[in-house]
Amino acid sequence: MSLLEALPRPQVSWRQWQPNSVLIFLACAMLAAIWLFDVVSVAPNRIVSGEGAGLIDAVGWLGALLVTSVIVTLVALALQPSRHGYQVALVGVLLLLLLMPFGLMVASNRLISGDTPGARLNMGMAYWCLLSFLLLCWVELRLRLVLLRRWTILLVLAVGLVWSLCATLGLEALALGQEFRARDAQFWRALREHITLVVVSVAISIGLGLSLTLLMRRYSKLQKSAFAILNFLQTIPSIALFGLMLGPLAWLAAQWPLLSQLGVSGIGWAPALIALVAYSLLPMVRNTYIALEQVSPDTLEAARGMGMRNSQRFWQVRLPLALPVLLEGVRITTVQAIGLTAVAALIGAGGLGSFIFQGLGQAAMDMVLLGALPILMLALMADAGLGALADVLRPRSDTARPGEIE
Amino acid sequence: MSHRVSSFSLSSPNVPAAVWPALWCLLLVACIWGFPYAEGVLRMLEPDAKEVVYHRASLASLLGHHLLVVSVAALITIVGGMLAAIAVTRERGRDFLPLVAQVASLGQTFPPVAVLALAVPALGFGTLPIIVALVLYGTLPIVRNTLGGLQEVDKEVKSSAIAMGMTPWQVLRQVELPLAAPVILAGVRTSITINISTAAIGATVGARNLGDPIIAGIVNGNMAYIVQGALTIALLALTVDSLFERLQELLRSRLSTA
Repeated sequence: MSLLEALPRPQVSWRQWQPNSVLIFLACAMLAAIWLFDVVSVAPNRIVSGEGAGLIDAVGWLGALLVTSVIVTLVALALQPSRHGYQVALVGVLLLLLLMPFGLMVASNRLISGDTPGARLNMGMAYWCLLSFLLLCWVELRLRLVLLRRWTILLVLAVGLVWSLCATLGLEALALGQEFRARDAQFWRALREHITLVVVSVAISIGLGLSLTLLMRRYSKLQKSAFAILNFLQTIPSIALFGLMLGPLAWLAAQWPLLSQLGVSGIGWAPALIALVAYSLLPMVRNTYIALEQVSPDTLEAARGMGMRNSQRFWQVRLPLALPVLLEGVRITTVQAIGLTAVAALIGAGGLGSFIFQGLGQAAMDMVLLGALPILMLALMADAGLGALADVLRPRSDTARPGEIE
Repeated sequence: MSHRVSSFSLSSPNVPAAVWPALWCLLLVACIWGFPYAEGVLRMLEPDAKEVVYHRASLASLLGHHLLVVSVAALITIVGGMLAAIAVTRERGRDFLPLVAQVASLGQTFPPVAVLALAVPALGFGTLPIIVALVLYGTLPIVRNTLGGLQEVDKEVKSSAIAMGMTPWQVLRQVELPLAAPVILAGVRTSITINISTAAIGATVGARNLGDPIIAGIVNGNMAYIVQGALTIALLALTVDSLFERLQELLRSRLSTA
């Protein structure tokens, strides 16, 4: 016990009152956002920027009252926080999340008349603010209530299901949906290309990373220079590395016709794959190295005492014990690769990044969103999925996550 | 997208560490100055192209723009990120700590390109969306590392500082921040290295910087343009990164002797 704790503390009665200032702050921010900014905007076509509509124009007095009263309830619950109150607040947040797509439907009915078939409904500043503040509320409540992972997944799935149902059934006017319907085949192909590039590059870097680590463990002289080179590669900006790949590969393809028959050229998947693997190697090798090194020597000694051979000790003791940290490396690598593959669209590798850059080129912001939002969701899903897998494989007693803080 | 600092560096013990920043910087200056005169070499890359030297803007002005954008963003991120992290580790802001920590680690999963792309619809084309995107993205590593650094400071050390009669402000300035400095500096290094790279992608949304020659080269299929942009930008990144490495070494040696 420290000296400070032993000192008597002044007890003032209003000090005892501890509202949840986070929730109050977030709720007030939501109220300000929905009343001050445009909730939606309506544009006559794809390129023209739309005309904004406030909360009352978009969903009417009744809708505005409903949303506002739910948010005010959140504030009231946060003033006297209790576990029960947090549960009610969670229901309120979920209710708002579920109401949001219906709000869009109401807005499209009210604002878009039948004689302008090409009109597009865009989500406005207030809509995005509301969504992000609600997600922050969700994170806060999840931390307060210590929700189990399976509940989180279930609730996220439920909200996602309602949103996608609304998007397919009643939101023909939504700009993002129109953009998607106009090029859905292209979208699925881009998504497939994106995922394929990420999976293949991560798989290659797992294989290469593991063998490089094993080599480094055998020849310790290699370790320093290998890490130096990998660090060096990581420092080079992605766009520069992708650019520099063009020349050598174009030359190689010109020298060996066999390679160009395989589809290798300066532009396309080959330079992208090489650059992705080059970037992925550092986090992969570093985590694999740390993972294999941190297995306790006592455990290995015990395995030797039990009469295990060297290879048995590696495959049956060292590798399984190292697996959670190794997976941490796979998680970092995968999330990084998802983002970098978006840049690879610049050198013609396809993927969702192509929507971003095409959209930027045509000043069509809905198309940019069509590329950026799925990339964001892919990254979040990969992060959550691989994180959960690592948690499952982690031995119970060992809860420390090496490499958590840089 | 984490770029962690490791103890492995290019420098070997018999080469003084200060050599690397100087070397990269020298190469960078040589590139900027030398490319307009190196038509012969560039011509070898693209024998058939009409032009091989990037003439639309001088590399020096592009470099200046690039550095300006990155430093403005860095200034905002360092001040904002550190203030936020300090605020939530004080007694009054402690309520916000779990949320900020969670958001800072979750935000690391957002790809920079996606953040940049999402900033454009909200802010339009040009330099402003780039700065906003860089600030949004660059704040997270700094918040995360400042939080980590401040939380790692031993409770006993803080208690003894208070017991010595230090005010909270003095504890923060003379005890907590110096002890957390290496971790914070690592976060700043990550943030700026990523931002140099992301700013280059900003050339696709109409900002004038070192990404320009690369994009122009990719669009026109001109390898010589790409080489000029890519080499300059890679050297810039290496210069800045090695400078930070040197700074970290200095800080480490000061902390260990103090």
